[in-house]
Amino acid sequence: MDVIVNITSGFMNWFAEGGNTFSSWVTGIIPQVVCLLTFMNSIIKLVGEDKVNRFASKLTNIAVLRYTLMPVIGLLFLANPMAYSIMRFCDEKYKPAMFDVVATFAHPVTGLFPHGNAGELFVYMGIAQGIQQLNLPLTDLAVRYFIVGIIMCLLRGIITEKIYFRLAGIKK
Amino acid sequence: MAYRNIKITKGPAGFGGPLIIEPNETKNVVLCVTGQQISPIAKKIAEMTGCELVDGFSTTVPDEKVAVAVVNCGGTARCGVYPRKRIPTVNVEPVGQAGPLAMYITEDIYVSDVKEANLSYTDETNVPAAATAAEEMAAADAQTEATQQPAVEDGKKPGVITRVGIGVGKVVNKFFAAGRESIDTVIRNILPFMAFTSTLLGIITASGLGNVIANTISPFASTLPGMLVISFVCGLPFLSPILGPGAVIAQVVGTLLGAEFAKGHIPAQYALPALFAIDAQVGCDFVPVGLSLGEAEPDTITLGVPAVLYSRVVTGPLSVVIAFLFSIGLYS
Repeated sequence: MDVIVNITSGFMNWFAEGGNTFSSWVTGIIPQVVCLLTFMNSIIKLVGEDKVNRFASKLTNIAVLRYTLMPVIGLLFLANPMAYSIMRFCDEKYKPAMFDVVATFAHPVTGLFPHGNAGELFVYMGIAQGIQQLNLPLTDLAVRYFIVGIIMCLLRGIITEKIYFRLAGIKK
Repeated sequence: MAYRNIKITKGPAGFGGPLIIEPNETKNVVLCVTGQQISPIAKKIAEMTGCELVDGFSTTVPDEKVAVAVVNCGGTARCGVYPRKRIPTVNVEPVGQAGPLAMYITEDIYVSDVKEANLSYTDETNVPAAATAAEEMAAADAQTEATQQPAVEDGKKPGVITRVGIGVGKVVNKFFAAGRESIDTVIRNILPFMAFTSTLLGIITASGLGNVIANTISPFASTLPGMLVISFVCGLPFLSPILGPGAVIAQVVGTLLGAEFAKGHIPAQYALPALFAIDAQVGCDFVPVGLSLGEAEPDTITLGVPAVLYSRVVTGPLSVVIAFLFSIGLYS
């Protein structure tokens, strides 16, 4: 009998542990995310997609802007997955690189602006939770994540563009 | 009176549709339920279909006469009322399945965030066009008289107070829609993921599996070469599309690593390179879909997919190196 009780309580213990984690996430993460999401969603609705599109269409000709500002604007104002639609302003030959760039920034954006990819928060949040438990400030990590994200966008944009040009036989 | 079929698609932030409106002799009313003012969309729809425009706030029409209802509902009642009666409904506000009647709001009967640009003719005309314009006019007149419905006055300038009211209402509606969207995201995406991961994490921690994982992952994630290996593996062209979907794997690994950071098994400044190490495959499952969202040609997609996948083999580890450089001075 004792064996059964022990097994059962051990089994229930697994889920008690899970429950603790769940409730700490719900109370620790969700309230702030909800308010931030609401705020950013309102701004997006007030600004309107048309203006974002018009602005984006001006950036496409300069490689540095194309691979840095466009993914940032796309994810901040259109969010994943609609952010990918921003590459329709690019020349056809830049689109594969542009895709890669938007995808690259899809997680670095969540550190500071969770609304940009709210469905995939835990790539950042998972690691950030661990850092938070050490009582270290998260902003430091989020800002660096954002900056390295942009740098990677530029590098990945240029490299993927070169690879695609090679594959497709496009000469610059 | 000739009626023409029109197609109504959703706007940029809309939901549902496309709806095909097919008016006929018995179903020939555009019911506008937008409060103080007749919506220009309703006017346009009436003009295009040849239907009669009726202001739902000043009179009522039997349901079976309504070809389409136009509402400006922020997501509580009106957007659900007409779909519930299976009347095609156009909402000029960007509202999806919301409110107490949300279950009736389906894509085949409801379309939202509709702008004038979303209205177009379908090819066929329902009834052969009237022989002459005069005949058409006469028919229209006769019809109006027969139904005895008050015609909607055009060009009635709303007062200042009304206009301010409408302006404020618009802004508040947007805020409200934004709030609804946030809660929706939390319920549909964030909470389910939390439920699944915390259960998984609970089992792993309480069953002792956690120690095994800690002993295998921590050594990799606490050195630069180890993280380079992780990112290289994640970026392999035959693995990256499998690891990608929904970023679920990156999220679970992130959470597991987070637990190791919390215990101090991995130095805190490695958090930054670790974020990139586990994410070399980001979006690799999504290349064709993403490219078509960006309106790329099929040829671009054929060669674009391998280009992105090959690039990751190089840029995955490269991102770890750069993140490692940027992590110097973090938390020290």
